[in-house]
Amino acid sequence: MAILDIHQVSLSFGGLKALQNVNLKIEKGTTHALIGPNGAGKSTLLNVLTGMLKPDDGSVMFDGKPLLNVNSYDINQLGIAKVFQTPAIFPEMTVLQNVTIPVFAARDGCFNMNMFEGRSKQRPLIEFAEQQICELGLEKHMNMMAGSLSRGDKRRLEMAICLANKPRLLLLDEPTAGMARHETEKTIELLRSINDGITKVIVEHDMNVVFSLSDKISVLSQGQIIAEGSPTQIKGHPKVIEAYLGEAQV
Amino acid sequence: MNTQSNFWQYNKTVLMFAVVALTMPFWFPLMGGYSGLDTKIMIFCIFVVGFDILLGFTGYLSFGHAAFFGISAYVTGIMLKNFSDNIIPAMLVAVAAATVVALIIGLLTLKRTGIYFSILTLAFAEMFDSMAMSMLQRWTGGENGLTGLPTPMLFDLKMQGDTVFYFCALMAIALFYFAKRIERSPVGLMMKAIKCNQTRLEYTGINARRYKLLAFVLSAIYAAIAGSLMVVYEPFVGHEFLGWHQSGEIVIMSVIGGVGTLVGPMLGAAFMLYFENVMSVNLGEQWLLVLGVIFMAVVIFMPGGFMEAMARLKKRFFTTIDGE
Repeated sequence: MAILDIHQVSLSFGGLKALQNVNLKIEKGTTHALIGPNGAGKSTLLNVLTGMLKPDDGSVMFDGKPLLNVNSYDINQLGIAKVFQTPAIFPEMTVLQNVTIPVFAARDGCFNMNMFEGRSKQRPLIEFAEQQICELGLEKHMNMMAGSLSRGDKRRLEMAICLANKPRLLLLDEPTAGMARHETEKTIELLRSINDGITKVIVEHDMNVVFSLSDKISVLSQGQIIAEGSPTQIKGHPKVIEAYLGEAQV
Repeated sequence: MNTQSNFWQYNKTVLMFAVVALTMPFWFPLMGGYSGLDTKIMIFCIFVVGFDILLGFTGYLSFGHAAFFGISAYVTGIMLKNFSDNIIPAMLVAVAAATVVALIIGLLTLKRTGIYFSILTLAFAEMFDSMAMSMLQRWTGGENGLTGLPTPMLFDLKMQGDTVFYFCALMAIALFYFAKRIERSPVGLMMKAIKCNQTRLEYTGINARRYKLLAFVLSAIYAAIAGSLMVVYEPFVGHEFLGWHQSGEIVIMSVIGGVGTLVGPMLGAAFMLYFENVMSVNLGEQWLLVLGVIFMAVVIFMPGGFMEAMARLKKRFFTTIDGE
């Protein structure tokens, strides 16, 4: 069953057609990669899914609910989390505080006036946040300022923030961009370990990451989906070689 | 027993502030502070603690908080003069009026961030200032200020001298405690997250705009309570209450003391009022020059204000001991 149904989505910036009649179904529980050359519209498509951009046309349904004209925070509350290209965390807060935020967001919704409730008295919630941090291997840094973490650890922390309010769909925008080889390997492992039925959509340039993680790949070029299929199908697809892989292999 | 020590740990700063505040009439005159200045310090402590909920937690710098201070002061004055000399109804109506104004201004100004937000708040405050000077002159007394107010009463109690001081001090302690509670609540966490990374916060399922508005209105309520108490303390409303100068003073107090620490801005307020009134006797008008130098020194060398200075001293002191 498709958890995400993108239907005939189009979006232009002035004269530039960033997305043209994009149709895409993401199956529940799978890892779906979006690849394509620079400027193909991959990040634009992710931004449409998180409510940051409004398409000119088309519809997006998430688990039967429309996603267009919904605020970013409401989209997150529905169960869609996004991992940014540069890790987006709360640098002037401790690692634990960083993860406490989504835990309270999951309990209280997008706004709650509980001004007199002591956070530290909510033991089960704090413990859950601590558990999330441990699962991502950050337990040594629990009370460290998030801004002073290494880049790889910032990525882990961001992942912990995203996973702490139990999303059903995780969007990843080039999670390994600018990473060294061994960090990339670690990230692949990390992503593979997240499999509590969470659907993942991953935008990535690193073919190694794409082919080792995804169940299905869609190829975008000039705002259109030109091919779709399993990793093996995509590897041999002539259109893809022409638009993307060929260019890379020259 | 454990809960008792927890209670102490949890409320240490509030209890310390309470002790310092309530004993002030005994030690403050020894430092050369005239009677009444201690009351003014308490009132400004309320103002800056509230201001820190906005500036310190969310990072939004308002240059227009004099509007809420001034509006509340004028409404209190008008109520005392025309309705009843009891301060309770006067204060309630004044704070309610300022809250409504804050909601409207907040909804409009919080659409913008950074310098645009600051300029917008300044513009709104100036608008109220010029309104008080022109179309509302009949009620505000224009340039002369609102005069001829009766002695404020708390039911049968005359609000004069030490009574006013203790009334203001108790308010300050309660409101400081309230601010501390907010800081430790989920709301405080969300407000501080706004300062860190608003985009991440929105993508974590939080409606940042509503938390910003809440911080803005709460800080305006603090400003309004302070403004109202100013009239209780001295039954007169001057038009400078609404001026940009007043807004600026609050910003300087907060920065000197240490933004975001709640205690710091109170230290800043006490420092500024003390030096303004005690040191200016010796320095005369030169006082502003000295203040300027202090302000620049803090911003350049110690952006965390007095609180950072204290933390550094503490660290140096303790590390030498540890080094033994």
